[in-house]
Amino acid sequence: MPTGSGWLSPAGSGRSLPGRGLLLLTVLVLLEGTVFRLGAASTPDVSGHDTKDHHKATAIGHNSTKKAFPVLDLDYGHIQTPFEISLWVLLASLMKLGFHLIPRLSGIVPESCLLIVVGLLVGGLIKIAGEKVPPVLDSRLFFLCLLPPIILDAGYFLPIRPFMENLGTILIFAVVGTLWNAFFIGGLLYAVCQIQTGNSSELNGLGLLPCLLFGSIISAVDPVAVLAVFEEIHINELLHILVFGESLLNDAVTVVLYHLFEEYSGVGTVTVMDGFLGIISFLVVALGGVLVGAIYGILAAFTSRFTSHTRVIEPLFVFVYSYIAYLSAEMFHLSGIMALIACGAVMRPYVEANISHKSHTTIKYFLKMWSSVSETLIFIFLGVATVDGPHFWNWTFVTVTVILCLVARVIGVVGLTYIINKFRIVKLTTKDQFIIAYGGLRGAIAFSLGFLLKEDHFPERNMFLTAIITVIFFTVFVQGMTIKPLVELLAVKKKQEAKRSINEEIHTQFLDHLLTGIEDICGHYGHHHWKDKLNRFNKKYVKKCLIAGERSKEPQLIAFYHKMEMKQAIQLVESGGGVKMPSAMPSTVSMQNIQPKKLPPPKTVERALPQLPKGREEEIRKILRSNLQRTRQRLHSYNRHTLVADPYEDGFDKFILKKQKIIELENKIKEMNNYLTVPAAPTDSPTMSRARLASDPQAFSVKPDSDSVPIIQVDLASPQSPDTVNVMDEFRRADQEENQGLMMRCPRGPSEPKKSEDTEGARDQQKLMRCLSDPGPSADEDEDEPFLP
Amino acid sequence: MGSRASTLLREEEIEEIKKETGFSHSQITRLYSRFTSLDKGENGTLSREDFQRIPELAINPLGDRIINAFFPEGEDQVNFRGFMRTLAHFRPIEDNEKNKNYSGDFIAFRLYDLDRDDKISRDELLQVLRMMVGVNISDEQLGSIADRTIQEADTNGDNSISFNEFIKVLEKVDVEQKMSIRFLH
Repeated sequence: MPTGSGWLSPAGSGRSLPGRGLLLLTVLVLLEGTVFRLGAASTPDVSGHDTKDHHKATAIGHNSTKKAFPVLDLDYGHIQTPFEISLWVLLASLMKLGFHLIPRLSGIVPESCLLIVVGLLVGGLIKIAGEKVPPVLDSRLFFLCLLPPIILDAGYFLPIRPFMENLGTILIFAVVGTLWNAFFIGGLLYAVCQIQTGNSSELNGLGLLPCLLFGSIISAVDPVAVLAVFEEIHINELLHILVFGESLLNDAVTVVLYHLFEEYSGVGTVTVMDGFLGIISFLVVALGGVLVGAIYGILAAFTSRFTSHTRVIEPLFVFVYSYIAYLSAEMFHLSGIMALIACGAVMRPYVEANISHKSHTTIKYFLKMWSSVSETLIFIFLGVATVDGPHFWNWTFVTVTVILCLVARVIGVVGLTYIINKFRIVKLTTKDQFIIAYGGLRGAIAFSLGFLLKEDHFPERNMFLTAIITVIFFTVFVQGMTIKPLVELLAVKKKQEAKRSINEEIHTQFLDHLLTGIEDICGHYGHHHWKDKLNRFNKKYVKKCLIAGERSKEPQLIAFYHKMEMKQAIQLVESGGGVKMPSAMPSTVSMQNIQPKKLPPPKTVERALPQLPKGREEEIRKILRSNLQRTRQRLHSYNRHTLVADPYEDGFDKFILKKQKIIELENKIKEMNNYLTVPAAPTDSPTMSRARLASDPQAFSVKPDSDSVPIIQVDLASPQSPDTVNVMDEFRRADQEENQGLMMRCPRGPSEPKKSEDTEGARDQQKLMRCLSDPGPSADEDEDEPFLP
Repeated sequence: MGSRASTLLREEEIEEIKKETGFSHSQITRLYSRFTSLDKGENGTLSREDFQRIPELAINPLGDRIINAFFPEGEDQVNFRGFMRTLAHFRPIEDNEKNKNYSGDFIAFRLYDLDRDDKISRDELLQVLRMMVGVNISDEQLGSIADRTIQEADTNGDNSISFNEFIKVLEKVDVEQKMSIRFLH
């Protein structure tokens, strides 16, 4: 271990970035090899040795022969398991780092491929070292630890609207498509085996049921692989949700088919009765899973209603309830994936209305972090397991499988689309069909299911595993690598990077109402009618139960608007909005302290400073003074159970009034021709862009072509932008006149009293400066420290 | 009732409506029976009260405006032809027959723009917002939302949204595709 880490530091310095990256990779891989040899070697010996020693010592101790007191002892066995787990996680994370240091590589080869290669290398190293490869893709580990974070991340941030709009299509692809795939592949494989009867003996004993079992394992599109590959190609939302939704919902089908064929493989026959039971089982599995998930989701939402005093553990509820939902569903052999999706999707609107802004950020980042690490680990383990697994290569079987998978997928998609298009308003074009067919990637779920097969029941298990791995490799490498150029070639519509603006929100709602009205006039109870009914029910009963306080009455439009404003304000401040300040203001803190790295030159600063009339200045100073005092009085001592009391939780309405005044002020300043530009960061890696949550309404950025409006190019990828900046401006409350009886609350209001919300008013910058110079006892300040370079 | 319905709607009429609006034969007959069921006065035309009798429209925030959209300028009665013409705006558009006269966006725009001056002013927008949002929100807040909305969409700086600007915004929502109702065949 010491040798390994010693290599790292001197090697990296003074070389070009790609070189450094490659070196890092090699070193890490070698490091892992060394460690594993050390670990594996020391475990049996050392622990045994130690105990022996210990016994000897105690035995001898009775004879009072003193052994020298061990000053430094090596006890690897004590910590072996957590240590190795941590090492694997570290390896995964360092790999991710490494890949992004080599930009050209990650452009050509999708991350998943690279990770599998790394896994192959590590597995190879371990094998060469002569050690037993740890059973990393153990099915229990996979299904209970590695898969849930990814699915929860997907479910919690599932874009509900497109999902629901296309639900019919998705279900047809998931259910009918998977069934078709399974039976087609299984059946034709059986036929091939029958034909092969004379030649190879291995394929001889392959009955119909094992073939069908194999077919059902291999036919399911894998959500992890789809996510990994589609992340990087940015196709339009419709295709993404179709393929991704299919990969999620086919879990129920896979579960049922797998259990059905596995159960009856021993017996050898499946009767019609069993088929019928299978169908019923499918309904139970799917609907049961969703129900379990929804119940836990509602529980979580209900719990979050009461967390206003214990904000610190809010994210925990989300994670724990979701995980329990998953485990409960698995307990009954229901579809755990569907439970998790349902739980996340159901709880999200209510939980988000209840929790604080910080908890929201925490949940977002934890989910992204866990799912990211999980995904990386899964691919690495896939590589390791490939090296390890007992393989049985049979040319016929494997090639036929691969070909059949492709053929079945294409026929399935084309056939189903033909039927589906009769019912869709927005038809699926040939290009769409091609992408859907091509995006049917297989992944680790198939492998784990194969791994689960018992050797004694299925003598062909090894052959199955080899074939599964080959198919996975084929889809991930070949299809994964070529899909990006193909998308470019076919000019498939890409994801619109446009942010969801208030306009779209208003018009979408407007259209919903309009179309519902027309449907009612026609007497036609369609899609809109039921959606409207559900919304009404939701507003009337459900929201009152699950959302705390006044937010239950908040219309969706207003909530959206608030969210958008806050986001914009955060970004404004992060992008150096501190530039806009009156020069007449005394500044005890220099400008440098409040700006992130990308800083406009001081010259621009001078030009940008507006001049405030004297009276305004005085007013602003007075406000600041009085508010700073108030802040000190209000802050409590920090303890582990509460964050600093959130002064804004009940002041959001007054904040809005303040906003109006700020806007007026800004209008005056606008006339002075302010320009503020911050160069945008280079585009992010897919991981980073995933962390940016496209599903959230992003802030509106002012159009660059209007003259009198300050131009703000927001750097969303600023390295210092963990969204921990809280934006509510406490100081506004000082100046409020009357309470206009607004019933708005923002429980997500930040507890950090010191950052200003938007910089439209010069006043804010004033406060920002002053407050930063104020040594407040707020403990929260520490976590916002990175904001100051 | 049934016999009268069939005599009132003659084949030629159906053909004409079909040509004008693009609905199929069965759709037209279905919608005609709906028309007659709404027409309590049995005089072949619908008045505003007939529409208001539909319970779901009463709770729809845009109910009144939608009803108004059916009635041409200044009139109080709408016959079946007019009824179908308005509904034709919501038929799913096939790609080869993009008929600008019957585009859904235009009707949506008309629903915002009450005074028919071809642009959505701040007040008109405020009215729509007020209808959609309910009574709990203050005027000031709605005002700032309206201002923001106009600021986003307005490209020529006249502080209101013209039809073209409206279309541009709706493009993002992919409204042309979504602005249609699946009329059963």
